[in-house]
Amino acid sequence: MFGYVRPSAARLTEEDMDRFGAAYCGLCRTMGRRHGQAARFVLNYDFAFLSLLLWPEEEGEPLHRGCMAHPLAGRDYFPENPALALAADQGMILAWWQVQDALADPGRGKGKYRAAAAALGGAYRRARACRPAFDRTTRLHLERLRTLEEAGCPTLDEPADAFARLLAGAAGEVEQPVKRRVLEQLLYHLGRWIYLVDAADDLAKDFASGSYNPLIRRYGLERGALTEEAREGLAVSLDHSIRLMAAAYELWDFGVWSPIIRATVYEGLFLVGKAVLDGTFQAGAPAFHAARRNKEKL
Amino acid sequence: MTDPYEVLNVPSTATDEAVKKAYRELARKYHPDNYHDNPLADLAQEKMKEINAAYDAIQKERSGRSAGGYAQQQSYGGYQQQQQKAGADPAFQRVRMAINRNDLGMAEQLLGQIGDHCGEWNYLMGTICYRRGWVDEARRYFQTACQMDPGDPEYRQTLNYVENNREGYRPEGYEVFTSSCGGNNLCARMACFYAVCMGFNTCGMRMFCC
Repeated sequence: MFGYVRPSAARLTEEDMDRFGAAYCGLCRTMGRRHGQAARFVLNYDFAFLSLLLWPEEEGEPLHRGCMAHPLAGRDYFPENPALALAADQGMILAWWQVQDALADPGRGKGKYRAAAAALGGAYRRARACRPAFDRTTRLHLERLRTLEEAGCPTLDEPADAFARLLAGAAGEVEQPVKRRVLEQLLYHLGRWIYLVDAADDLAKDFASGSYNPLIRRYGLERGALTEEAREGLAVSLDHSIRLMAAAYELWDFGVWSPIIRATVYEGLFLVGKAVLDGTFQAGAPAFHAARRNKEKL
Repeated sequence: MTDPYEVLNVPSTATDEAVKKAYRELARKYHPDNYHDNPLADLAQEKMKEINAAYDAIQKERSGRSAGGYAQQQSYGGYQQQQQKAGADPAFQRVRMAINRNDLGMAEQLLGQIGDHCGEWNYLMGTICYRRGWVDEARRYFQTACQMDPGDPEYRQTLNYVENNREGYRPEGYEVFTSSCGGNNLCARMACFYAVCMGFNTCGMRMFCC
């Protein structure tokens, strides 16, 4: 997970932003409590979004307390619930295998990934003990992805499918059959979208280092940028996956989280995809996070 | 029975016009076009039935008679059924039957046993990819099918649909797309009309097409 999944700030009310912030802080605390302080550093808004999708019907009441990052002012946060625990465990497992994947990639520097692996080993083992089936399927899909990448797979859809299946596996523990079906479809296409957006974001870097990138192979690119034809073709794939995510979202009542999910699947993902394709995407905290911080300063 | 006003998300004091507007919005959202070749089409179909029943109940309650109107025009196709081609190779007919059962693994396996990668082979491979959500591969197979059999209307209509029907349902006011062309131009609308309303023939409620 890479921090690409963001709601459109313009569509959120202050109440929505506060609630999402409380879910984010709740997930941060849950990761720390379940897997140790190092685990909190892998947290991003993609994992927070996953927790909203998995959230139980009862919203719960946020609490308020100081934390490492905000010792004096404190922050509202949702106390641990099954969705936060599941998202924390799955997020930790995904982050671990992402680090392992980077270590196995000959085109990437190893220093920071070796340090991350050393810091996160204990947290990963605890998460794996809680969700052995998810860990197993994640590893299998990443092995398939690596095999495709090493073979220089010339299509977009096959490697994207491997990552999509991996993410769809996060719905495996959802008990309600209809919700599980909806989330499997939504997460499958979210996984496809993340893989393809990440490929576009890394294109210049991968081209320079000679690393595998599905866009280079698919469109026969001769430099580290998309041609007009490749850009249009990729946009069709991205929009198609978002459309299928939105269609799935409409088939389940996500309660108080609906405005945030709607602002993500109907606008946020399009804006991020457009920014990545335009080369203007900025990693880091999304706009509404900054808006929340500014509000606190006033 | 669930409160019909709750289903349409309007108060019981809503005007007829407001009820109709809410109904139209929900019908647009769960329209078969949005769930064409979608593994969740059955769930959308259930939603559509619920919405139709609610609208019909409100109309009955308010007018003392059956609503007719949109509710009775609904026809939810769900998955597109692959029609058997007259005189087609039985091996391809078996593939189409497997696709209709949504047994995509079997359909792919059967195609793998056919050595002649003709237009039909490419068309069916594209259909399998499209049902999996692999739109890039689907387009490539459909393009090859069209190049090999340029006179086949089924291949051409499907390619038009895949290349132009990008918009789907969007709530009012949401208009951002990844690229500058969101499939909202005249060409896309015409292609959507041709492929969906005339080619695939899955939409009973044609007034909401495009």
